[in-house]
Amino acid sequence: MKRLCVVALAFAVLAGACGSSGSSTKSDAKVGPVLVNDALPHFDNPVTLRVLTHDSFAVTQSVLDEFEAATNVRVELMPSGDAVAMTNAAILTAGNPVADLIFGFDENLLGSVLENNLLQEYTPQRLSTVDPSYVLDSSGMATPIDHGDVCVNFDRVAFTKSATQIPTTFDGLTESSMMKKFVVEDPSTSTPGLAFMLATIAKLGGGDDTSANAKWLSYWKQLKGNGVSVVDSWETAYYGSFSGGSGKGDRPLVVSYASSPPAEVQDISLAVESSPTGVITDTCYRQTEFAGILRGAANPRAAAAFLEFMLGSSFQADVPGQMYVYPVVTGTQLPDTFAKYTAAVSNPLSLPFADVAANRDRWIAQWSALFR
Amino acid sequence: MVGALPLMDAAFESRGGTHRSSVWRLLAATPPLAFLGVFFVWPVFAILLRGLRPNGVWNLAAFSDVFSDPAMRRVLWFTLWESIASTVLCVIVALPAAAMFARLRFRGKRLLWSALLVPFVLPTVVVAVSMLGVIGGGGLTGVNLNGTVWAILIAHVFFNYAVVVRTVGATWSTIDPRLEESARILGAAPWRVFADITWPLIRSSVAAAASIVFLFSFTSFGIVLILGGLSHRTLEVEIYDQTAKFLHLDIAAVLAIVQLVVVVAILIWFGRSQRRRSVLVNQRSASETEQSAVTSSQRWLIRSNLLFMTVLFGIPLGLLVVRSFSTPSGWGFGFYQALTDSRGGSTSFVPPIDAVGNSLLFALMATVVALALGLCAAWAIVGNGSDVSNSRFSRWTDTALMIPLGTSAVTVGFGFLIVFDEPPLNLRSSLWLIPIAHAIVALPFVVRLLVPGLRSIDPRLREAASILGASPRRVWWTIDVPIVGRALAAAAGFAFAVSLGEFGATAFLARPDRPTMPIAIYRALGRPGDYNFGQAMAMSTILMVLTIVVITVIDRFRPAGVSEF
Repeated sequence: MKRLCVVALAFAVLAGACGSSGSSTKSDAKVGPVLVNDALPHFDNPVTLRVLTHDSFAVTQSVLDEFEAATNVRVELMPSGDAVAMTNAAILTAGNPVADLIFGFDENLLGSVLENNLLQEYTPQRLSTVDPSYVLDSSGMATPIDHGDVCVNFDRVAFTKSATQIPTTFDGLTESSMMKKFVVEDPSTSTPGLAFMLATIAKLGGGDDTSANAKWLSYWKQLKGNGVSVVDSWETAYYGSFSGGSGKGDRPLVVSYASSPPAEVQDISLAVESSPTGVITDTCYRQTEFAGILRGAANPRAAAAFLEFMLGSSFQADVPGQMYVYPVVTGTQLPDTFAKYTAAVSNPLSLPFADVAANRDRWIAQWSALFR
Repeated sequence: MVGALPLMDAAFESRGGTHRSSVWRLLAATPPLAFLGVFFVWPVFAILLRGLRPNGVWNLAAFSDVFSDPAMRRVLWFTLWESIASTVLCVIVALPAAAMFARLRFRGKRLLWSALLVPFVLPTVVVAVSMLGVIGGGGLTGVNLNGTVWAILIAHVFFNYAVVVRTVGATWSTIDPRLEESARILGAAPWRVFADITWPLIRSSVAAAASIVFLFSFTSFGIVLILGGLSHRTLEVEIYDQTAKFLHLDIAAVLAIVQLVVVVAILIWFGRSQRRRSVLVNQRSASETEQSAVTSSQRWLIRSNLLFMTVLFGIPLGLLVVRSFSTPSGWGFGFYQALTDSRGGSTSFVPPIDAVGNSLLFALMATVVALALGLCAAWAIVGNGSDVSNSRFSRWTDTALMIPLGTSAVTVGFGFLIVFDEPPLNLRSSLWLIPIAHAIVALPFVVRLLVPGLRSIDPRLREAASILGASPRRVWWTIDVPIVGRALAAAAGFAFAVSLGEFGATAFLARPDRPTMPIAIYRALGRPGDYNFGQAMAMSTILMVLTIVVITVIDRFRPAGVSEF
């Protein structure tokens, strides 16, 4: 008995001893350029770099190995929930972070990231290769890494079978022929759900209107009247309610990503016009994902090197196949399925990130008042 | 307390040993309570304080904000009644099954007994997507309960059925059937026999199971989000939103305090109702009390229970398994093969064998910790069966160990982040936190299994041993351990199952990548395409099979006599 209890106590103490990683000296000194002749730096002593990511982060192992071999830095990935939970966990530990680098917050989170003084400044030398339209943060804290678009997807098979016209605009979604055909995610619990709500605000306006009659809200009233279904998450919407592709539900319209249709194609020879699902490009809302060095990072120079690596050609080319998003560096080659089956989104909707930061909670509250 | 026979506490009094025994009890209670203090109370307290006292100044405005908000009152009211309704419903539908397992012999009984735990370990989202395929409208039945409170209640019964059946069934099986027979011979109607004879004997185990079901339903998160639609929100959902989504730590703190108060109040109420009216009877081994179905009502009991289980579990889980074999190119193992496809060597790829290995490793560690601490706690709660004065101490220990089940996972998870941030306990990104968090959840199950086992030991055995000169430790080792060993095996089963399926507090931790099976399932489900969905179904099926295998092995060690899950 006693022995068991002692073992249990020893266990807990041991846990304490094993868990404490040697804390390195932390400095907030500005990180200078790390590239050497445009190449990744090599650290003389082996360094461990901790990268805080959302759960959807992925990179090809061999691409990551290139970085580790070139720099002598060992990368430890730390997936920590969805982008919102990850960012808030980082805010909670601002100044004494669990990792060196954070990747995966989007422009809807950028405002609170900057406001909470989460990052330290580093402007990558390779930022010059990035399409300037993605560089939203002028303070040099947040580096854009990839972008995607949240768009309404449709089930081509269902529309063909019922000989109904596929809607092409926001207004098309509220027509009576679309009664009970559309499923969206709750903007308060889901990232694509939030993006779609912001898309309606960007498109229809009325974001300043705090009343229940704001223009964008009137649109949602029409959607509600037309039997739109609201679910908690992308998983429930896409797999549980959507009828297209791998979806198991009965609604032919869903809020998903511009990059979802390629994932539904098994055979690359399939004609684009007959791929199982497609995208309504008019509804697309731009999402850019950022990375930054956490203030108080143990290894800021290694983190800076990783930022440069993320903007390098091998990582950028790897991004579509691994995370279903697009590179931000201009001229990066896309994989074949991507190039073929994703519709070109020429003018995605967007809102200034400062507006989103200032109004997001109120917009969600207005939306919730209508739907709850 | 599960106390099948609490009157035993009062049955023997040995004055001389009382003092020494209470010292021992305090000593035994120290490790579990210290563990709880460090890994539960401290982080929760810290995150509450961060919300209510930011920058060292008290800010209690959130209290009036919350209590004056009618939406919040609605949330609280809904949480309360949905959890009470779920508990009552679950007990009502599970009792006949408990009776069947306790009294009747039928083919496949052992397998079914183990398989009962499968729903308990499956990730919520997988079960919910399967359920939507059955009751989501346009599904197999054409019935659409999506977004209704019925969907929530059915799902709560789905997940918690095993808790009631296995707890009550085990206790029921130790009750001497001759008691009921005599009553019947004396002319009592069947309901009378149940009300006057059986119910008083199983009542405390019903209360023990019901309190766990209540806590799980009270803190229900995924089910409410996915199946409850927009109009149904629990306190847990609200706390999650306020913490992880909006970082309104002050409001989250107030809600967490409300949650804590309600949970403690309910637990105390359950504790009291268990204390009253317990009876001392001889226990029988399960094999002595079961018989083959002979009467038509017995056969009807078996048939109706099996039909119920087929509908509730067979259909959604069957759909899940069917989907794991239904590939775009026809029936086959394509999705299982795809599990080993690394998609060009992606870092997000989890080799299935690794996911299984990680799950088993964490479950093993959690089980060892939970068993060691649970033994200490159970022993402290039971004592040597000789002193009544400490029964309040017992009740409080038991209640304290239950509280984590009724606390929001995000509160604990974010608490971990802010307290374990410097040496010597710089644990917040350590893998150790995973088995530790699992052990906290498993602990109440272990204690509730061990306490009746320990209680069933006749104190006279211990007395005889100590009169013959055995030290307390020797008494424990030679008397208690052999008898309780089997209950320990049963407790291990539940602890293992809890850890295999747990996806709460650990989901909020920033941890080095060491994915378990539930995490692998979520990862696959987070991506579009037939093969990703199929892999999630395939991995879920593997998790189901693994659970049945592990639990069957552990159930082999089932005690012949004493009550257990």
